[in-house]
This record gives sequence, C-alpha cells and structure tokens, in this order.
Amino acid sequence: MPGNIRSVSVVSVALLCLVFCSQPTSLDAAPLCTNAEAGCHVLSLANLFDRVIQHSARMHGISNDLHSEFELYFLPSKNQIGRVSRNCHTSNILTPNGKENAQRMAREELTEVILKLLVAWRDPLWHFHQSMTHFHDFIDFSSNKSLKMSDMVHELRKGVQKVVEKMQMLGILSNSVSSLMSPEAFLASGSAEWRLMKDYELLYCFRRDSNKVQNYLKILKCRIVPEDGC
Amino acid sequence: MVCARMVKHLRLPLLLLLLALAAECNSMSKPGKPDKLGCRSPDKETFFCWWTPGSGGGLPTVHRLYYKTEGRETVRQCPDYHTAHSCFFSKTYTSIWVEYTVIVEASNALGNTSSDPLTFDLMDIVKPYAPENVTLVVSIGDNPHLTIQWHTPSNIDTKSGWVTLKNQLRIKLEKSKIWKNYTSDTQTHFTIYNIELGVVYMVEVRCAIDNSAWSEWTNTTFVKVPNFPRTDNSFWILVFSLSLIPLLVAMIILILKRKTVKKYILPPVPGPKIRGVDVQLLKSGRSEDVINAMLLNQRFPVVMPWKDQNEDYLIVSDKETSYLPLEKNKIFILPVAITLDSEVQSKETSEVDRFLKDSESSSEESSEKTKSSQLLTKCPSTNVLNDEKANQLKGVTEKIIQPFGISGYVDIPRHEHTQEADYSRVNEVNSDNILITKKENVPHTLDTQGQEGGVLDDYSRVKEVNSDNTVFLEKHSDSVNASIRAKGYIDWVNQKAKSPHVTGHSEMGVCPQLVGCGYVDTFPPPAVI
Repeated sequence: MPGNIRSVSVVSVALLCLVFCSQPTSLDAAPLCTNAEAGCHVLSLANLFDRVIQHSARMHGISNDLHSEFELYFLPSKNQIGRVSRNCHTSNILTPNGKENAQRMAREELTEVILKLLVAWRDPLWHFHQSMTHFHDFIDFSSNKSLKMSDMVHELRKGVQKVVEKMQMLGILSNSVSSLMSPEAFLASGSAEWRLMKDYELLYCFRRDSNKVQNYLKILKCRIVPEDGC
Repeated sequence: MVCARMVKHLRLPLLLLLLALAAECNSMSKPGKPDKLGCRSPDKETFFCWWTPGSGGGLPTVHRLYYKTEGRETVRQCPDYHTAHSCFFSKTYTSIWVEYTVIVEASNALGNTSSDPLTFDLMDIVKPYAPENVTLVVSIGDNPHLTIQWHTPSNIDTKSGWVTLKNQLRIKLEKSKIWKNYTSDTQTHFTIYNIELGVVYMVEVRCAIDNSAWSEWTNTTFVKVPNFPRTDNSFWILVFSLSLIPLLVAMIILILKRKTVKKYILPPVPGPKIRGVDVQLLKSGRSEDVINAMLLNQRFPVVMPWKDQNEDYLIVSDKETSYLPLEKNKIFILPVAITLDSEVQSKETSEVDRFLKDSESSSEESSEKTKSSQLLTKCPSTNVLNDEKANQLKGVTEKIIQPFGISGYVDIPRHEHTQEADYSRVNEVNSDNILITKKENVPHTLDTQGQEGGVLDDYSRVKEVNSDNTVFLEKHSDSVNASIRAKGYIDWVNQKAKSPHVTGHSEMGVCPQLVGCGYVDTFPPPAVI
C-alpha cells in the first residue's frame, strides 16, 4: 500500500510540474528565446524597462522624501525668497527640458544622458551619506534614506546598462553608446564640483536629476516598446 | 485776538490735512499690491499663473507679469495674457526642471507696485484637471454591481509616457456622510460589488499625474439602484412551503411506525447459541440438564491420543547445517527458562534473526522432506531448538542449542516403535550450550508408549541453568521422582494431557499458558537465573 501511494504521488507531482513548468512566463522569455524572434525579445525588453522604470520611480520618491525631511529638520523656516538658483554639478550635462525635446532626441543620445546622470551621482551620494553619519538623529528621522539612495543609484545604473546591452543586441540601439559605459570616462571631467555643493543643494539637485532619469526612461520605453503602460 | 493767532498757527497743518483728505477721497495713488500669485500646470507641458489685483490706486492700472528662468538673467514678460489677471505659458515657453521666478507688477500713473515673487519648478506645480464623463452602470442579476467609467482629462497626453496618471474615486450613500475611497491606478473604470438595493449612490472621481497633487473631484454623479423584483422570491417561498408538507407527513409516519422501521433498517442480530444447549434450560439451573446439555449433546472433536505421536523430543540445532532433521527424529526441545528469553534475545538478536530466517527457510525444505513436520510459530518465548544430524565429534554428539524467540515444536513423523530410537540421553551440557549426549541405546520406554514411570526414569532434572544459557543436569536417578511435581525437570514436550502432568504444570506456576505451545517447564526464575 505505501508503495502505491508513493508512486501515485510521484506521478501527480510530475503531472503538476508538466502543467506549470510548460507555461511560459515573461520572466523566462530570455533563456527560451535565444534566436532573434521579434515577439520573444521585445517582451523581455519591455519587462526590463518596466523594472528599471519602477526602480527609478522609487529612487525619485526617496530623494523627494529625503529632501523634504532635510528641510524640516535643518531648515524649518523655509524661505522662498532666499532660494538661490541651483548650480548642480550636473548642469553641464545637456538634458532635454521638455517632452518634445526629449522625443526629438535620438535614442542613443537620450540613453547617454541617462547614464551620464546616473554615473555623476554615484560619488556625491556616497559622500553625502558619509557626511550624514554624524547626524544620528537625522539618520533615524529619515530612516537611513541616504544610504538607500546611494545604493539605488548604483543599482539603477547597472540596470540601465543591462537594458542598453539588450537593445544593442536587438539592434535597436547602435553601438556608439558602449564607449560611454565605463564610468571612468564620465568622471574624468569636472567631477570635483560637487564637493563645493552644500548638502541641501545636493539633495535638491539629486531630486531633480532623479526625476529627469525617470521621465527619460519612460519616454524611451514608450518609443521603443510601446505597450500598455504608455 | 488770541483766536486769530491760533488760527494762523493751525492754518498750515489744517491745509495739509485737507489736502490729504482730498487725496484719500479721490484714491489716486500707486496701485495696490497684486496678491495671491499662483501657478499651475495641468498637463506637465504648459502652465499658467494667476493673481488677484490689489485694491486701491483709483487710476487705471495695468498688471504685468514678469518672469525669469534659472540660468538666464533676462527678465521676460508674460507671453500670453490669456484672461484677465492670468498668464498662460505655452509649450515653447515651458521648461521643466528649470526654476522660474514670477512677479506681477501693477502700475498706474502714480507708480508701480510689485507682488511678492514666486519661485517654482514645473514639476512642483503640476495639478491636472478633474476627469471627465463619469458614467455609472448598475447591473442587477446574481451579483449586483456598479461599474464606474470615466475619461482622462482631454488635455493630457498619455501615449508618450511623459505622463503617468493614477485615479481615485469615492462613493457614498446619499443618506450617509462618510465617503469610501478606492484607488484605480491607471484604469479608467472601476467596479464595486456588494451594493445595496433600492438606494441612491453618489460617486466622485479625481486623478493625479505621477506624484503631483490631486485634481479636484468631479461633479457628483448620482445613481439609483433598483430593487430586486419580489416575485421570484415569493415563487420560491411557495415551492418551499409546499414541499415541506409531504416532508412533515413522512416524518409523522416514521415516528408512528418507528418500530417497524427500526426492524427494517437495523435487523436484530441473533444472539449466540450453542447447538443443543437451551439457554432457558441453563437458566432454570438444573444441573443434570446442564450437564446433559453441555457434555452429552456436544460433539467433541476426536482427540488423538498423544502417546501415539512422537513428541518426546528435544530440538537442538546444529549451527552449520541448520535444517530440520531429516529422517531421524532427533528433535529435542530444550527447556529454557522464559526469563532467559529476554536475555537471550537481547544478547544474540543477530544470531537469533539469522537463525530464525534459517529456520523459516528450512521449514519449507523440511516440510518436503518430513511430511508431517510443522512449525508452530508465534508461541511466546519458548526456546525451541532444532536438532540436526549430530555432528559427530569423537562419538559425542554435539548439539548446539540455538535459542530463538519463536517457539514451536516440530512434529516429526511417526516412526515404528521398533525402530531403535536414536535418542540420546543428554549427558551433560557444557558451557557452550552444547548438550553432550551419550550414545547409548535408550530404551523404548522413552518412546511415547512409555508409562509415566518409564518416561520419568529418563528424565533428568536440570540442576541449574547458568547465565550462559547452559543447562546442568543432574546425573542420577535420584532426580527421578515419581512425583512430577518436582521442579526443574526436563519435561518432554509431551502432549499427553494427563492430569498429573496437568497438575504438575499448574503447580509450576510458571507459564501455564504455554502448555499448548510445546514448551518445557521452566525453573523457578529467581532461584536459577
């Protein structure tokens, strides 16, 4: 009798496995579609884009929260008049400042802009986090968002690089972007400016730049893989 | 005289006062400060600003809006004064992620008055218009539900990915004061289940772009949910109540006739009955009748007299060839104390198991060879030892006693009594559990026909069994005591159910229950072991 039960259970497990394992999911699309079948690859690229966009949205949310918390904590008397025009260290990167401008920009250029922005923020955020470690109360108050932020920027850059590689593999993107992949290329020019910025300005600038990255990614996605969600 | 001097002194200030009053009455002055400057972008691509003009001035006032963008020092004027006291910035003049500084200046003939400047980034002032065309559909059926649909504001472009909308709706009963909120991410429809019937619902919708501020709520939309038609219910109620009547009738019948029903469903089980015995007779208690009933009318199975069978045996096994004995009835059952069993088993379980296997396998073989051999199994704790053809060792037959758990005896085929029994009298048992028997002719009397006395003669009383499971026998006939009540004798597995035996057994007091299993009487445990 036990033998019967065991064999029955093995058979049922095998059947279940067949049923469920045979259903293709979008996550498994990549290993299944090794040959360039258009439908297959586009699906996984959209998935990658979605993930990257979600990540950037989260990152922007955190930077927004951190900015307001910083204001609340250190500058309670927020003064509109006293606002000086920001000189972010990324202002030398030319970014499209409108929908049309972003749409008119070539894909490669737009991708480059995204990557440049992400690379430019890696060190400043890390140093910001280091400087914040002295303010234990603020870290508790902001539940260590500065660390999360600096991690996220790093992750997002890697994610965007993956998307770019995928696009290059599919032939959607030309290979001119690859020369800019290495972060050292970015950091060579004028990278020390951020050290002159104060913490508050840094936060403001990053809040803006993270919003830029999020929007550019969305525009890029809806241009390349216009599916639901656009 | 004094009055005239006073008037002279007061003339100048009075004049000034009059002039001031005159000026006030005319309200001709610089314009009032424009106030409540606000800007808003309903679609993240354009924006507009508004203000409320300040009061006063009296003279015709012109309001101008000036703005400055971050990075450029030039001050520019509003590109389009859309409506009164507002300024519209089209796409060409709108840049996001750029700080604007806006100021409104009111000027008239007498001067200018500027408002407080307003600094903002476009992404901070995004606030869409309310959604449009809210429609409500009530669907009744098995699952009454309410479907709400709406459109995004017409000015928003949702295809390019520049804008991500999320929606929120709220609903309440007309009578209630509490709204219930639901979020509907990017979908422009929503379904609410479990709605009440026969009430009026109020619904409002609003939306937001990315994480911007929420729009205003739409105008309230009302919807009335009709009642279910009652006829359906009443029909089913009628059917239900009608079907109850036969049910009740059936119940009543069942209760009235419960006895017959019970007999039908649960037929009575006949009680136990002994053939030929009348229960009533027994109850009446007359002993003669009882005895007659019990004894005379019964048919007892024929009992073969045990003495016809060779059951005087000691089963001793030979370790090497563990088969049952072939033709020779050299089967002896060596009595071992029951309490030995546990010791034995614990000590030599492996051997026992092996032996058990052997004995079981061999039992099959032996059954072919010796037809009437049977192995009674499952007799608790009697050591039965299978004998082999003795391994002849210098004229001494060694038999190795292998105790094992399964008891049993081997029924050996009956041999002619004339056959010289190859019994060996156990001479002694040495320390290795070896029974050393003398090869001498044992008189027939050992055979089954022997009387008790004869049989008894050849019994040896076991002197003791030591911890090595060796049996020491007393070697004289003193042991032979006519009284079988002597403890510690090797009782052959003599299935003679003779009463002395029986009594003897009962007096042993040790394992009387094993009588039927073919055991050998045991020693009084405490004394020996």
